[in-house]
Amino acid sequence: MAEVAIARADLDRREFGTRDAHGIFIQRLGKSFISRGNEIHALRGVDLSVRQGEFLCIVGPSGCGKTTLLRILGGLEKPSEGGLDFRIEHGNDPLQSMVFQEQGVFPWLTVLENASFGLTVRGVPREEREAASRHYLRQLGLIDFERYFPRQLSGGMRQRVNLARAFANNPAVLLMDEPLSALDEQTKMLVQEDLLRLWEGSKKTVIFITHSLDEAVVLGDRVAVMSHRPGRIKAIFDIDLARPRRALELRNDPAFVAIRGRVWDSLREEVLSSAATDRTDAR
Amino acid sequence: MSDDVDADKLAAGADKPAVSPVQPAKAPHEVFSSGERLVSIASPILLLLAWELSARAHLIDVRILPAPSVVLATIWELLREGQLAGDVRDTVVRFLIGLVFGVVPGVFIGATMGLFRWPRAALGPLVAMLYNVPRIALFPLVLILVGLNEFSNELMIALGPFFTMLITTMGAVMNVEPAYRDVARNFNTGTRHLYTLVVLPAITPALMDGLRLSLGLALLGTITVEFLVGDSGLGHLIWNSWTVLSLKQSMAGLIVATIVGAFFYASLSWLERLLIPWR
Ligand SMILES: Nc1ncnc2c1ncn2[C@@H]1O[C@H](COP(=O)(O)OP(=O)(O)O)[C@@H](O)[C@H]1O
Ligand SMILES: [Mg+2]
Repeated sequence: MAEVAIARADLDRREFGTRDAHGIFIQRLGKSFISRGNEIHALRGVDLSVRQGEFLCIVGPSGCGKTTLLRILGGLEKPSEGGLDFRIEHGNDPLQSMVFQEQGVFPWLTVLENASFGLTVRGVPREEREAASRHYLRQLGLIDFERYFPRQLSGGMRQRVNLARAFANNPAVLLMDEPLSALDEQTKMLVQEDLLRLWEGSKKTVIFITHSLDEAVVLGDRVAVMSHRPGRIKAIFDIDLARPRRALELRNDPAFVAIRGRVWDSLREEVLSSAATDRTDAR
Repeated sequence: MSDDVDADKLAAGADKPAVSPVQPAKAPHEVFSSGERLVSIASPILLLLAWELSARAHLIDVRILPAPSVVLATIWELLREGQLAGDVRDTVVRFLIGLVFGVVPGVFIGATMGLFRWPRAALGPLVAMLYNVPRIALFPLVLILVGLNEFSNELMIALGPFFTMLITTMGAVMNVEPAYRDVARNFNTGTRHLYTLVVLPAITPALMDGLRLSLGLALLGTITVEFLVGDSGLGHLIWNSWTVLSLKQSMAGLIVATIVGAFFYASLSWLERLLIPWR
């Protein structure tokens, strides 16, 4: 069993060019929960290799285990089987940080204090951490609001605070679980643009979970499609759209429409069979 | 680059701050129009006026319910005699000591029970049981165990705030939004920062609510204890005046006790705005 996993990882490293390539290697990962006496397999046999520096989007039907996968990567949950290997160079910076949904912003901290949170708990001196945080707040159009409390901001601005907090922490890997799903359509596109701009100027690896196919294709270098529960990686698509990308303009681009169609063909089956199992579960 | 940001702000109409910078949002307070405010001030005054007039017109028996003007005069009289100041002082001191005796261990034990499973398993059922005992029924027991002294008075006053703060704090700690804990864990937050930057601020609003309840309970406890065994304080004044059928003195004590309570409530609201500026 272990040998199979190692062989698979070797295969992926070869695929990336060199044997000791950098990236995140997920092998045969499984996770089950006990819920009301029943064992629920959220993930089973997830194989995925993420290249260092890429923007990888993951889509899948709801309940397929996307959140579970990301929480395992973020160290908030332990896998039941299989393993993951972060072969990422991060020097003195943290390995990974998560971008949470809106409710992950602390209401009792100001925008600036929220953005500095990761640096504060790492003991970075005030001057330094505020300078780093302000850099991102400025890029995200929040610099005039640094003394505000989150309650005083709109949803889009709160989500930008979340982004600023993760970027200011300067991790090598950013893990995002549907960070924009609570936003209205226009605000979402604007924050996507912000995110692309910040990421394109960095060398960070991003794993971005979304239920929106458009979002996945606009943002990702690759899009991984997950099967219905128990989730595994069903297919991976390369998104060969030029960078820098403009989230606002891309949506009518014929190349974009074509790729989205191909990914959707793969995802549609899973959504349909997921709906079917939901019906049998309910019975 | 900066062009993009400006365009964003223009395009996203919804992206304006909900509140202007000069006027940071306060705790959700109902805002009354000037007409409504007038009514809210006028109604107690009208009630007092009706009371006064009915007393003067002998519509109510002044031996049972003295007119407000008489009560006010009595308060003034008691103040001049110097007795009232001593009663207020004794009541306030008892009340504050009892409150602190209850709140501090209540918060401490409640937080411990909220944070750790073993203390919760050990003390949970005990607390649930004791909480349901009518507290005043414990007074004889306390008097026997502790003695007929000031300490047993303060212990009785402390019981209400103690249980209230214990249960409030435990609940608040256990109900800290899981997302906040996730953020803390993902950013490798150390114990000190976890408590000071996350748990403490997260439970502060609930603590203030518990404190408000405790305030009322401690005042109730103080007056009750003074009814039963006191030889000083507003409770003693109210009860003692009643037993000698001096109802205007009894009413005077009641009014002053109400003012004392209102003062502490107002202080708490002020403290709340200070401690929870983000609300
Ligand atoms: N803590 C948990 N306890 C029990 N079941 C869970 C838990 N977390 C997730 N699950 C279950 O695992 C499955 C996958 O959930 P999740 O990862 O949230 O899916 P997704 O994010 O793709 O919608 C769901 O069936 C969900 O009910
Ligand atoms: Mg999810």
